[in-house]
Amino acid sequence: MGMFNVLDISAAGMDVQQARLEVASMNLANASNTSKPGGDVYKPLTVIVRSAPVDGVYGLSKPVVAQTAPLNTEPHLVYDPGHPDADERGFVARPGVDPISSMMDLLSISRGYEANLRAFDITRTLLQKTLDMGNHQ
Amino acid sequence: MFEADPVFSVLSRALDNAALQQAVHTSNIANASSEKYSRLQVVFDNELQAARLANFGTGDLTDALPTRPRVVSTGEAVKLDQEMALMAKDAVHYQALLGAYDRSMAMLRLATREGKE
Repeated sequence: MGMFNVLDISAAGMDVQQARLEVASMNLANASNTSKPGGDVYKPLTVIVRSAPVDGVYGLSKPVVAQTAPLNTEPHLVYDPGHPDADERGFVARPGVDPISSMMDLLSISRGYEANLRAFDITRTLLQKTLDMGNHQ
Repeated sequence: MFEADPVFSVLSRALDNAALQQAVHTSNIANASSEKYSRLQVVFDNELQAARLANFGTGDLTDALPTRPRVVSTGEAVKLDQEMALMAKDAVHYQALLGAYDRSMAMLRLATREGKE
């Protein structure tokens, strides 16, 4: 029985949210990148999270970042003929980052991180109280 | 003698079960954004409950031991807010069990001191 290992599960959950936060921030930060016509424009990334078994904790699993992979989104073509990276028709290719869905991701990451932190805190409190068991007069 | 006290056996098993509940909630919360993760649930077999109630009041607590629960996959996605609420509730239950253990210990202590505080 590994009540202490339960803390590892929460820590893994926070790690995963951290990785998702990095990727979501990177997508937003690179949303206005452009490239020369025909060049590769920034492709937004996504984090693929999978569950991996944890040893000794009742066959439960913890999340792990399996891969950071590019999303299959097409670049947005914006008409901006004066732009140095515009093609012959005057269009500039910008990364297919959807700012609204990125903001939603950020919200869900923040909630997920908080939830894991809270779970960690509750487990820690219960462990602490278990260690104090029988010490009260 | 101490280990044989049925109250402690019951409380110990109940604490084990409550710890399992906590572990399962933690796993559900941590894996909420994992692909293909299905929410886990602790299932207690209630069938034995009726049989136990028959022994109620006889002073025999051996039949009152909580059953070993099973962890089953529900096939549903994790609802973070629901999971948090359940975890908070089960944490209170765990602490109530610890309180019961403390009180039982206090009674034993009182007995060993021949009733002197």
